[in-house]
Amino acid sequence: MNFTLSTPILFVLFPVFIALISGVFYRRRMLNYLLTSLTTVTLAVFAALMPESLTISIGPVTILFNESLGFLGRQINLTYEILPFIAFCYAVTGLWTIFSTIPIVPELFRSVSLVITALLTAAVGVEPFLYAALLIELAVLASITILSPVEEKTTSGILRYLSLQTMAMPFILLAGWLLTGIETLPPDSPLVTQSMVVLALGIGLLLGVFPFHSWVPMVSQQANAMVTSFIFFIINISILVFGLNFIDRYTFLRDFQSIDVFLRFFGTFMIMIGGTWTAFQENLKRSLGFSVLSEIGFSLLCIGLSDQGGLYWLFLLFPARAIGLWLWGYTLTLIEQHSDSMNIHDLQGFARRYPILTSGLIVAQLSLAGLPLLASFPSKFNIFTAAIEINPRMGIWSFLGNLGLFLFTFRTLSALVTPNDENTSQKWSINEKRKVYLPILIFIFIIILLGLFPNTFLANLTKTLTSFNQLQ
Amino acid sequence: MTALASPAFIIIVVTSMIILVFRDWRINAGALALQYIAVFILVSLSWPIGVAVTKLIVGWMATASIALTCMRQLTSDPPPEPTASLFFRGLAGLLIILVIFVLTPSLQATMFPRVNVYIIQGGIMLIGMALMQLGTNAEPTLTIFSLLSFLAGFEVIHAALELSTLLTGLLVLINLTLALIGVYFIVKSNENKPEPKEEG
Repeated sequence: MNFTLSTPILFVLFPVFIALISGVFYRRRMLNYLLTSLTTVTLAVFAALMPESLTISIGPVTILFNESLGFLGRQINLTYEILPFIAFCYAVTGLWTIFSTIPIVPELFRSVSLVITALLTAAVGVEPFLYAALLIELAVLASITILSPVEEKTTSGILRYLSLQTMAMPFILLAGWLLTGIETLPPDSPLVTQSMVVLALGIGLLLGVFPFHSWVPMVSQQANAMVTSFIFFIINISILVFGLNFIDRYTFLRDFQSIDVFLRFFGTFMIMIGGTWTAFQENLKRSLGFSVLSEIGFSLLCIGLSDQGGLYWLFLLFPARAIGLWLWGYTLTLIEQHSDSMNIHDLQGFARRYPILTSGLIVAQLSLAGLPLLASFPSKFNIFTAAIEINPRMGIWSFLGNLGLFLFTFRTLSALVTPNDENTSQKWSINEKRKVYLPILIFIFIIILLGLFPNTFLANLTKTLTSFNQLQ
Repeated sequence: MTALASPAFIIIVVTSMIILVFRDWRINAGALALQYIAVFILVSLSWPIGVAVTKLIVGWMATASIALTCMRQLTSDPPPEPTASLFFRGLAGLLIILVIFVLTPSLQATMFPRVNVYIIQGGIMLIGMALMQLGTNAEPTLTIFSLLSFLAGFEVIHAALELSTLLTGLLVLINLTLALIGVYFIVKSNENKPEPKEEG
């Protein structure tokens, strides 16, 4: 028996359908949990193991997958080359979904996260690729329901997030129109500069690049940490891949020398401001937002260093960042469950009561900061080396900016270990349950493993670069 | 339809000023519904009327969903505002109108040479006023009204640049989802309102 399906049906329509069903039954926690977790894991496995022929045989049944799906005169193409990236996106969604049973995580989180990943998967493959801006906007609109659940007040951070992300979409579509036929124009044509400015505004708004960054720490402080860490990660990587599509498609963008300088400058600047603000934070959740700004800076710096192999390190950085942000969000959510305040001074002595939880938080922060032997170190070390080789001043500034997260981590550690003022003789004890500390210990081990053998575990994802023909 | 372009532009100026100056949802919803008629007229200068009418229908659906939710959920009148703040916002709106009249000729010459000047002025007016509104308030309903206006402004200009069925469909979806988010915000704010204390 032969069946014909298409990869967009499997990786876009099917998860949306499952998300709708699980969303309807969101109060039946177990059903919702099983449906979403199994779907994300199965899709990740399918995408990772799909043969190049896109044919799967199970006993007498053979399923042939087409790469594209036509829709209202346009196409969604999910080719074999992009499948490792899709596998990664679903695996990451699965990671967040599986560990989302903490009571303070919004009930709709699992279903909405599945919809968001499906929309972003469609955004990666839609043709003309500019329409991705609309799908990203839909993903942003869907994220509002989990960032600002029914039982909580609508905060100014959420409104700012919604406004700035919505404003980005017209800029991208306008840039798309301006870029049509621009290849034939001389490089000094004013239209080239205009389209680059409009495009930069669109991508800058989407990523939350300075001066459009204010919503990132606000949302981080006001929303649930599991949700924010997921949204910050998944939407950002999709926007980055979308941005890479621009550079891959338009020769004049690749040939324009200033674009690399511009990206490197903004990357370094974002690392600096993100790091500096993180260093002086008092609130644990807010510091996550500022660190995300720093990570956006690293992504921009990597793209700016593409001639030196920056894109390889960028893709190598994604899994390290995913696990780091997940562990950070997970531990913060558990800390919030046990404490009324997320201010580091109000959490004095917390480490003495919850040492494994605290270890998870500290390792997550140190991993994102790029401590040797931890997951982000191999990529960050190479990024700093390349940055210093190209421009020593830029390399030093980005290195100094990155120290901000180290400083904050040591401040956090010092505060959490110091005994509470009311109970100076506080003893060390393990109060975490096994289902809480086991995932933390496992992921601390994985973070160390990724730091020690980055190429063994992460090289598959960098194969995605083959879908960007001009950027390899 | 070309003859209606200048009245449509005047409607846009008046309605966007009303949305900027007043904070009562009833006035704003009425102005937004009227604004979508002007948007429809300007879009129909570039698209067939059958397609352009989608902007009107979607705009009215979005406005109606927010207005009906406000009608059911917001039972009390908004607190009266000092005349000074109305005056300030009115002045800011006039400044935006002035800037747009100054900017439009150069924008038409450099970016949109083949686009009708009313389309550019109308679109930019909606975008500019919406941005001013977004900058001067942090209230969910007004934010959604502003974002709908902002998107309408963009759609007026983009309609003159290209016609794509999928793009139109996706923009419809985005407008309606944005309106639903507005409804969600209103319902949420009402549910989370503290219970009034009983006296005596």
